[in-house]
Order: sequence, then C-alpha cells, then structure tokens
Amino acid sequence: MEIKVLFVILISTILINNYVLSQMLGLCPFLGVSKKMDSALGMGLAVIFVMTMASFFTFLIYKYLLIPWQVTYLRTIAFILVIASLVQLVEMTIEKISPTLYQALGIFLPLITTNCAVLGVAVLNIETGFATKDLGMVMTVVQGFGAGIGFTIALLLMAGIRERLELADIPGNLKGMPISFITAGLLAIAFLGFSGMKI
Amino acid sequence: MSNIVKSTLIMALITFVASMALSHINRITLPDIQRQEREKQESALKTVLPGYTITEKKTADTPDGPFTYWIGEKQREETVARGYAFITEKSGYSGPVRSMVGIDEQGTVLGIVILQQTETPGLGARCIERASMETFLDYILGRTTRVAPQPPWFQSQFTGLDATKKITILKRGDWTPGLRDELIEKNAISAITGATITSRTVRDSIATGMEKLTALVTLIKTEEEEGE
Amino acid sequence: MDYLKEVIKGLWERNPILVLGIGLCPTLAVTTSVSNALWMALATTFVLICSNVLVSVIRNIVPSHIRIPIFITIIASFVIIVELTLKAFQPDVYQALGIFIPLIVVNCIILGRAEEFASRNSIFRSILDGLGMGLGFGGTLFILAFFRETLGANKLFGYTLIPGMKPATIMIIAPGAFFTLGLMLWAMNALKSRKRG
Repeated sequence: MEIKVLFVILISTILINNYVLSQMLGLCPFLGVSKKMDSALGMGLAVIFVMTMASFFTFLIYKYLLIPWQVTYLRTIAFILVIASLVQLVEMTIEKISPTLYQALGIFLPLITTNCAVLGVAVLNIETGFATKDLGMVMTVVQGFGAGIGFTIALLLMAGIRERLELADIPGNLKGMPISFITAGLLAIAFLGFSGMKI
Repeated sequence: MSNIVKSTLIMALITFVASMALSHINRITLPDIQRQEREKQESALKTVLPGYTITEKKTADTPDGPFTYWIGEKQREETVARGYAFITEKSGYSGPVRSMVGIDEQGTVLGIVILQQTETPGLGARCIERASMETFLDYILGRTTRVAPQPPWFQSQFTGLDATKKITILKRGDWTPGLRDELIEKNAISAITGATITSRTVRDSIATGMEKLTALVTLIKTEEEEGE
Repeated sequence: MDYLKEVIKGLWERNPILVLGIGLCPTLAVTTSVSNALWMALATTFVLICSNVLVSVIRNIVPSHIRIPIFITIIASFVIIVELTLKAFQPDVYQALGIFIPLIVVNCIILGRAEEFASRNSIFRSILDGLGMGLGFGGTLFILAFFRETLGANKLFGYTLIPGMKPATIMIIAPGAFFTLGLMLWAMNALKSRKRG
C-alpha cells in the first residue's frame, strides 16, 4: 500500500503537476539553460540532487527544530539558507569532478539557489502535510526527487526543441524569448493531457 | 583564520538581529492569525451542523496525522439528537483540499465547508465559487446588491446525501434545483465541468473522514437497514 | 530630474520581466486574476525597496565574500514580515497567493537589484531603483493578469464581465500564461525594433 502512495507522488510531480509546465515554477533556469542538450542535462542532474537533498534537510529542520521550538514562521529563512549551503556544496563538488561541466553551466549553477522550484518543493512538502504523517520523510524525499525529474524532463524537451529552432527561419521579432515562451506554452498544453490520469 | 571568524561573527550578528525582529513581528501578528483561524472554524461548524450546540471536541491520532472531530447536540422534540463534524483532507490536483463535514447521527450529510484549497482557478477552484449575479458593469455603476451571495453550489449539493454509502459522481454540469431529486436518489453529486479530480478528491476525503469517524463513534442505523 | 530617470528606467527601458528577463516565476502563476497580480506586485515592491535600503546601508561594512548569504537573510526576513502581516490582516489574499509569498525570496529581481545596484549606490537612489523596478514589475503583471482574467475567466476583479459567456479556460492555466507572455515579449521586440529602424 505504501508503495502505491509513493508511486502516485512520483507520477503526480513528474507528469500531472510538472513543476515547470504545470505549476510554472523554475522558469528562470528553464529559459536560460535550455539552449543546448548537454548543459540542460547537467543542470537537470544538479537540480535533481539539490531538490532531493533540500527536501530531506528542510523536512528535518522543520519537524525537529522549527515545530518543537514553535518558530515555524522562520521557515522561509531557514529553508533558503539550507538551500544556499547545499548549492554551494554542489558547486564545489562539480568544480572538482568536472571542470568542463562547471564552465558550461557557468552562472546558472549558483542560480539554482534562486530557482523557485527548489524552494517551492521544500515549501510544498510542508504544505502537503507530510510533517504530520507517518513515513512523511520518505514521501517528502520522493516528492523532491520527482520534482527534480519533472524539471529535468521539461528542460530536456525544451532544449531539444530549441536546438532545432536555431536552424529554423523565425521572423525577426519572435526570435529568442518570444518563440521560446510560445514553445513552452505548446509543451504545457501537451502535458495537460496527463491531468485526467486516474491512478 | 581570522577572516573566517570575522565572517562567521558578522553572519551570526545579522541572523541574530533578523530573528529578533521577526519574533517581534510574530508576537504582534499571532493574536490576529489565531483569531482568524478560530473564527473560520466556528463559522464552518455553524454551517455544517446548523442548529446544533457543540458539546465536545476530540482529537485522535491516526497514521495520517491527527484527526479532529466535534460532537454536537440538538434538542428535537423530547430527544436529544447528536451530530458530528470532522475535518478531512486529501491531495487534490495541485495541493491538499481541506473540508469540514457535518453529519447527523445516521450519517446523513448536513453540510460541508471547504476550508482550504489551491486548485486551478476557473476549474477546480470553482468548488468554492458562489453564484453571483453581479457583473463588472454593475460594480462600476454602483448597482451592487445588498443580498448575500448563495453558498457555493458544489458544497451545498452534498447536503442530504448518505455519507455511510458511496457517493457517486455524475456529470450533469453546474448544479441546478432540477437536479436535486436525481442526485439524492442516486446518492450522487454533479462534478465541476473540467475538474473531475477536484470533485473526486472532495468526495474521497469525505469517505476517508467517515472511515476514521466510524472507528471512533457509532452511528445509528435506520430501521430499514436493521431489517436486512 | 536625474532621480526621476532612476524610477522610469524600471518601467520601460530596463523592465525586469520584459527586458531583463528576471522575476519570471511569480509572473506566470499569480496573474490568474488582476487582484492577485496587484497584491503580489505590492508585496514584492515592499520587499524590494526595504531590502534595497538595508543593503545600501550596510554596503560598505559587509565583507564581499559573504555578501550573498547576508543579502538573502535580509530579503528572507522582509518576506517573512510580509507573510505574517498578510496572514494576519488579509487572510484571503494570503490564501490566494499561496506558496508564492515565500517564493518572493527567490525572486531574481530582488537579489539581482541588491547585488547590482543597492550594494553600490546611495540609500536614496536605491529606494528610487526599487520603486522603479517594482512599478515595472507591477505594470507588466497587471497587463498579463488583465488579459488572462478577462479572456480566461470572463471576470475582472472577481466580477463577471459578460453574463452567460463561457470563457477560454486555457488562458487561465499554464499554457495561456506562456502564450500571453510570449506575445507580450513579441510586441516588446517589435516596438523596440521600430524605434531603432
């Protein structure tokens, strides 16, 4: 029974309520990094890692620190500082492991801190009430992981399309941002198809 | 070394000042926030248990988190009738949908109030939509009526249904008085067009709440059922 | 007059959403109604101006390599102030804006202006910059919300426009948001190239 719940959370965050195409979170990097497939993939993997870890740590802090001390109103500050530290960690790790990826991602790596989707999933975990449920920790981590996967899928789809768009003959004023947004809109319509899924 | 110490001290100082300021603001706003929640709950209780006086409030621990329910009493001729209200919550399309449900001692729904939802505006969020005859033109011409708007049709259509049996979902469009008989006969509700998930979620949350409630209190069966 | 320019630039030439391309997240999600859009703009502008002021005040004392966490702490504190105030005095707005209130913290506009402007300019200029950016942000949000609410819900400020007409719901969900913003950016580009040529 528990596995089904986790499966529902996964399908929900990846397809039905995709963080980018349905909930419209995480747009800045979505439009910034989706120009090439490799940087999109690198960014996506980094985001999956940060989201999963962030979900884990913010949950712990909320449940075992903020609630007992009755300072839940400090949630926003605590969460963003946790995320900022995590991103710093990821940055240093990537710089050591793959300097080329580090170069490719450039400014967008530290920008994961200001990625609405990361703080968004941390806050949503709390709003969904996982803090009071049994096995809430597991569900939180799964939701964070799913959100990251959904973000990456959207990013990869966008990158694939934009690579092709580079070669297409687009009217002058539509080039760049306008056509990207319209493309995103079409992708969003496609993902709307998942909203009727019954699981 | 001293660089790190200096940085840490500055960071700690700033965080300390921030926390002090925020706890001050929290202290100022807390009474208002708590008052809002209390008023909202009391108003919902009045709506879902009309005419009942609330006698008890209980909270039970379940794997899904704490389950709160109220027991109400109403004078009816010579007997005292009991009613129950509970808060139930389920994940809807884009977040949890929390409702308060009131039932009488036989399990018939007396009313529901959706307390919190973050569903899609224009679709799922219509579950809290009140029919209003006012248009924007009325507003700017100052033709606003003083009549209180109707309760949300999606919620009031639950009144009169049997919560101990399964509530089915039909697609008959927005609720109209003409649908009343069919829906009561089939123990059904009419889903919001384009928002089947939200409609289903509310229905399911009532069922889950009933499950938890019947584990804690016993409802009275009607004579028909006892004969079966 | 020079001061007026600081404000104006945020409205058009350096409009945060349409020109700089920052602050996109809340833009698409809160423009489902004009009322939500205006409240969000108000909340964001408040945080923006307050954080700009505070960052400007401490700009010469704060060590460079920890400036980002400090800015974030300052911004997050003001966001919590807004959160608690709205929750206490405007609970309906608080509910309507939902998770986007805490997300003001990561609105690229605020951190961006703190880093680029407030940390290098006087307090007064920082206030003007915050005001200008806030107005530009709010104005764009208003236009977006105007189209989405009227076309997608047949409403304005919650009041029905044309009784009995079924609106184009797609405008009020995600795809509509993307399309509307895309078209606005297209219009912006067209206007800019007309100015040039």
